[in-house]
Amino acid sequence: MASTDRASTSASQGGRSAPDNPEPRLARGLGWFSLALGVTELAAPRALARVIGVEPSGRSSTVLRLLGARELLTGLGVLAQPRRAPPLWLRVAGDAVDLAALGMAARSRSSTARLVGAALAVAGVTAIDLWAARRAGQARSTAPVTYAVTVNKTPEQTYAFWRKLSQLPLFMDYLESVTEHGDTSHWVARLPTGGTVEWDAKLTQDRPGKLIAWQSVAGSPIATRGRVTFTKTPGRDMTEVRVELQLGIAGSAPSAALAKLFAKPEVKGDLRRFKEVIETGEVLYSDASQHALPHPAQPSEPGEGARPQVFIPTPPTAEKGVTR
Amino acid sequence: MRANCWMGKRHVSIEHVPDPQIINARDAIVKVTATTICGSDLHLYNGFVPAMQKGDILGHEFMGEVVELGKGVKNLKVGDRVVVPFAIACGNCESCQLGNFSVCENGNPNGWLPEKLMGHATCGAFGYSHLTGGFAGGQAEYVRVPFADFGPLKVPEALTDEQVLFLSDIFPTGYMGAEFCEITPRKVIAVWGCGPVGQFAIASAKLLGAERVIAIDHLPYRLAWAIEKAGATDAINYEEQDVKEALDELTAGRGPDACIEAVGLEAEGHGLQFAYDRVKQALGLEMDRPIAVREAILNCRGGGIVSILGVFAGFDDKFPLGALMNRGITLKTAQCPVQRYMKPLLGRIERGEIDPSFVVSHHLNLDQTPEGYDLFVHRQDDVMKIILRP
Repeated sequence: MASTDRASTSASQGGRSAPDNPEPRLARGLGWFSLALGVTELAAPRALARVIGVEPSGRSSTVLRLLGARELLTGLGVLAQPRRAPPLWLRVAGDAVDLAALGMAARSRSSTARLVGAALAVAGVTAIDLWAARRAGQARSTAPVTYAVTVNKTPEQTYAFWRKLSQLPLFMDYLESVTEHGDTSHWVARLPTGGTVEWDAKLTQDRPGKLIAWQSVAGSPIATRGRVTFTKTPGRDMTEVRVELQLGIAGSAPSAALAKLFAKPEVKGDLRRFKEVIETGEVLYSDASQHALPHPAQPSEPGEGARPQVFIPTPPTAEKGVTR
Repeated sequence: MRANCWMGKRHVSIEHVPDPQIINARDAIVKVTATTICGSDLHLYNGFVPAMQKGDILGHEFMGEVVELGKGVKNLKVGDRVVVPFAIACGNCESCQLGNFSVCENGNPNGWLPEKLMGHATCGAFGYSHLTGGFAGGQAEYVRVPFADFGPLKVPEALTDEQVLFLSDIFPTGYMGAEFCEITPRKVIAVWGCGPVGQFAIASAKLLGAERVIAIDHLPYRLAWAIEKAGATDAINYEEQDVKEALDELTAGRGPDACIEAVGLEAEGHGLQFAYDRVKQALGLEMDRPIAVREAILNCRGGGIVSILGVFAGFDDKFPLGALMNRGITLKTAQCPVQRYMKPLLGRIERGEIDPSFVVSHHLNLDQTPEGYDLFVHRQDDVMKIILRP
């Protein structure tokens, strides 16, 4: 039984999986290419200069060595984080520098045919870099975000709490409200940039004690879907809650601000607050943490910049801990 | 209200700050009647703990009178006299229900910070950096106490503040260290560090039936205190004797059956290794100076237990894993889950088995707190434990 439940939480189930992060193979290849080129530029600048049609000189060697050092750094950056876009964009910038350097070389004594060949090669690599960087950036914003947390309540209790969608704003910081009308619900979210965005969603799956899934209805300003599964923790009366949230399905590109809402840290924070609320009754704030900006660990003036307090109508009773 | 604030490295001062208010339903406001400076506060004072902010109110050992309650607190009433555990724990999560209150899963609003440094979050704590949540501390006139329906312990009027105040941290911490040692009468226990926690570790080892307890320090007055007041049977001054030789002599070559480290990340010492740690720590290449931990492991009997009570912040060098593994030594340590020990230890105090006030050396007014830090950090005037009263 338990194994069936767990299988149903798998993200790859039932063809519901979203576009995966790009295969990092291409990025890794580009990273190794950077390293190889960098080493060549550093170790054999004169030989390389001849190959690309530049008259070997002290000056050209220095320039090539500098370019080689940059190439090594970007290569290491790409290899360290092959799934991320920023290091690939650094490669694109480096390509531009290389092209500019070749342009300057064309003005001095050099072999034009070889220079044109080199420039064409760099341009080709630039095109690949651009494509890889853009693809990495896009894939990040549409990939589903997943996170899991264990709560000290039974799956039935946990499901029941989550199923009251109107309670979601208690722990999802960016939600202003969720109102339910039968199978559909109306969601209002605050944007990090100010203002709000509203959409309607419908329940697509609802299995008491096991799973809830929802999806925005056609024609909503944003396309989103989410699902949360509740699994009994082996051997204990606790629940493993797994959330999968996705934005930008059905081909619509999410705005950067919205994508931020669904970024992993947000979902992680939401689930932590969910655990706090369901276990202890509310989100705990400290003197420092009740402020959005850094604040020393000392009390605030009455009413000074405190975050809105969230109290659930009937706090779960605080069971006394151990009696040892 | 007045409160002792951290203003920078080696700089604390009494500041006027707003009075605390109820923020969460399970909060209480406690009017402090007695508080103290903990040895671990000196790590903050000396700037060894990351994530401090100018203006942070320090102090995590305090007691007082309940003056205001959130609407979720049903088991306390205004006027109750309580000792507050330093660890902020909810009582509801699985860790709390297993008794591991110092790794409470809900007590630290900044849990993601220690998670980065230590893998998983730790509990919240009063006045102990933003790593433990950014809660204002107890060296103040009033304190907001979260989870007040779970943590604070009501104490009988018959006992003085000095007798019960240390239930908030150092008595349970020292006791836990002795409990880790699985003491039987035939076991020889050695304790590194004879500050207040070390004194309680020694006294607790005696309480649990150890016949022989060896105290190790370099301050003669602290060694004398350990023998005269805590009940140690032997003392080793590491500036005068080689610790290994002295322990081998005292145990006829066996080594102590269990070792308690009550020193922490600013261990003193001498020789090349001490210089090495000082330099690495000063350059930020090492967060701690685990000198006493190394010495405890190297001296412990094969198959013995090393119990670490000192506070450590991060990643350490030259850790004798080879000795630990090859000689089958068990390492036990924790930030003390104080709530587990408060009630049983209060029972021991009430039955007269121990009087924790034996560690008190100074009584100061809250306004003199900065002088207290200075006194404590320089080990002046035979300082052991300083009681502060607002």
